[in-house]
Amino acid sequence: MLIDMEGVSRSYGRWPALDNISLQVARGEFVVVSGPSGAGKTTLLRLIWMGDLPDRGLVQVAGFRSDKIRRRDFAGLRRRIGVVFQDFRLLPDRTVFHNVALPLVVSGASGRATRKRVFSLLALMGLSHRRNSLPHQLSGGEQQRVAIARAMVAHPLILLADEPTGNLDPDASAKVIQHLIDINRGGTSVVMATHDPRRIPPGSARFLFLEGGKLAGADRWHDLEDQR
Amino acid sequence: MSLWRALGAETMNHLASRPGARAVTLVMVSLAFVVFNTFLLVSWNLERLLHRELQAVRIEAFLSPDLSQTDGRNLADLISTMNGVRSVYYVSVSEAEALFRAEMPEQERLLDLLSGRFQLPASIQVSLKPDYDDEAGVRALARAIQGLEGVTEAVYGEEYLPGLTRAVSAFRKLLLFLGTVLAVSIALVVAYTVRLSALRRSLTVEVMSIVGAPDWFIVAPFLVEGTVTGLLGALGGLTLSLLLSAILQGAVGHAFVPPGLSLTVVLFGGATGAVGAALGIRPGRHSGGSSK
Repeated sequence: MLIDMEGVSRSYGRWPALDNISLQVARGEFVVVSGPSGAGKTTLLRLIWMGDLPDRGLVQVAGFRSDKIRRRDFAGLRRRIGVVFQDFRLLPDRTVFHNVALPLVVSGASGRATRKRVFSLLALMGLSHRRNSLPHQLSGGEQQRVAIARAMVAHPLILLADEPTGNLDPDASAKVIQHLIDINRGGTSVVMATHDPRRIPPGSARFLFLEGGKLAGADRWHDLEDQR
Repeated sequence: MSLWRALGAETMNHLASRPGARAVTLVMVSLAFVVFNTFLLVSWNLERLLHRELQAVRIEAFLSPDLSQTDGRNLADLISTMNGVRSVYYVSVSEAEALFRAEMPEQERLLDLLSGRFQLPASIQVSLKPDYDDEAGVRALARAIQGLEGVTEAVYGEEYLPGLTRAVSAFRKLLLFLGTVLAVSIALVVAYTVRLSALRRSLTVEVMSIVGAPDWFIVAPFLVEGTVTGLLGALGGLTLSLLLSAILQGAVGHAFVPPGLSLTVVLFGGATGAVGAALGIRPGRHSGGSSK
């Protein structure tokens, strides 16, 4: 398993964000975690990229264990994971090219390899003509595609997407979802958190429902769908 | 090699960005150092003044009337070889009388009345070495001189020297205390000013951490930025203080602090800037991994 969470709980003060979660994600799998706001979706993703560590239970990602990871190991783990956020988190004073290149730059890749990889990804995302633009000169959809390119540039094993369509119009959302599906078809495991899973074509992903910090499984999601 | 080049580029990017914010930070740090330099300037000059007062302390050894002028001069030569003695001056009987008449003209008549029955003693005036300015040392030297054959009495201003040395000692302790408090305050001002500047880049730190940059790669540009800011701020403060000193020179004569001390203050600025940046940037906190 690429991601293995066993009995994981995480609280912030008295508020339990996640309660005894167990989840396995295989290599090449696409998992959609849905649920209302405050259900714990973001916390779940943070625990996977170990931006946070569990109070109880164990998280294992690409061979890194949450109970044994040392401070200097975080960089190694995160080079195997790409993360996309709802608010894009692009560096505002750097061009599209430099934002996308960042993971390669910090891992010491050569300038030539970096340029080749960034240009090919920008072409794939339809952003070649925007490579010298600053983030604020782009539309929301373009910014999110830059963020996806940045997350994918270092060939990660896992792509985590936290409400990647949350700030986008339907057309831009559809494009982003399609990019995520294509990335998954290329062999990368994708875990996507969204409050609106209807945008994901049925059959392309495994759907999980998170409510009150607990995983309710696909049945609960289907119940909700039926009620709609 | 690429990583080091990337680190260099990242550092240059830090130093070149946000010139307005950097200028504000530099002004803040420079003003803090003007305060510190002013304290040093005042302390330095007061210390010099007190040192000069202590340097004025002399031992006067009165000689026996039986001692010939040649023996008196030999005794002066002997005293000049003693530890702590800078120079000696032999005052003969006739010179003592001339000095008395010059310094106390109102007592001149008394001297005339006693003429034949009393004569002023010859003496040796002993000046002390610059670092020989504590009361215990002066007292010990005076006792040693008094123990020499031919010396009837050695005086050194016992009535005011203990008080003066106590006052100087207390003053130095006060300066040290105030200087320490001020240095810590300046360090905090500089550190937190640089820290605020660093915190403005929290998004950069967070993103760097998420994309897998090692901690040292994230922290190094901030440390360089903090150090440079501290150094430039301290240099700016020194320049302003020099200007201030030059302007005030006409009104209050004083000496500027020595170059060595000024250089120490500038290096202190660089160190506090680095500490401030280190306090402001802790990648683990942004990445959440610090809890481990």
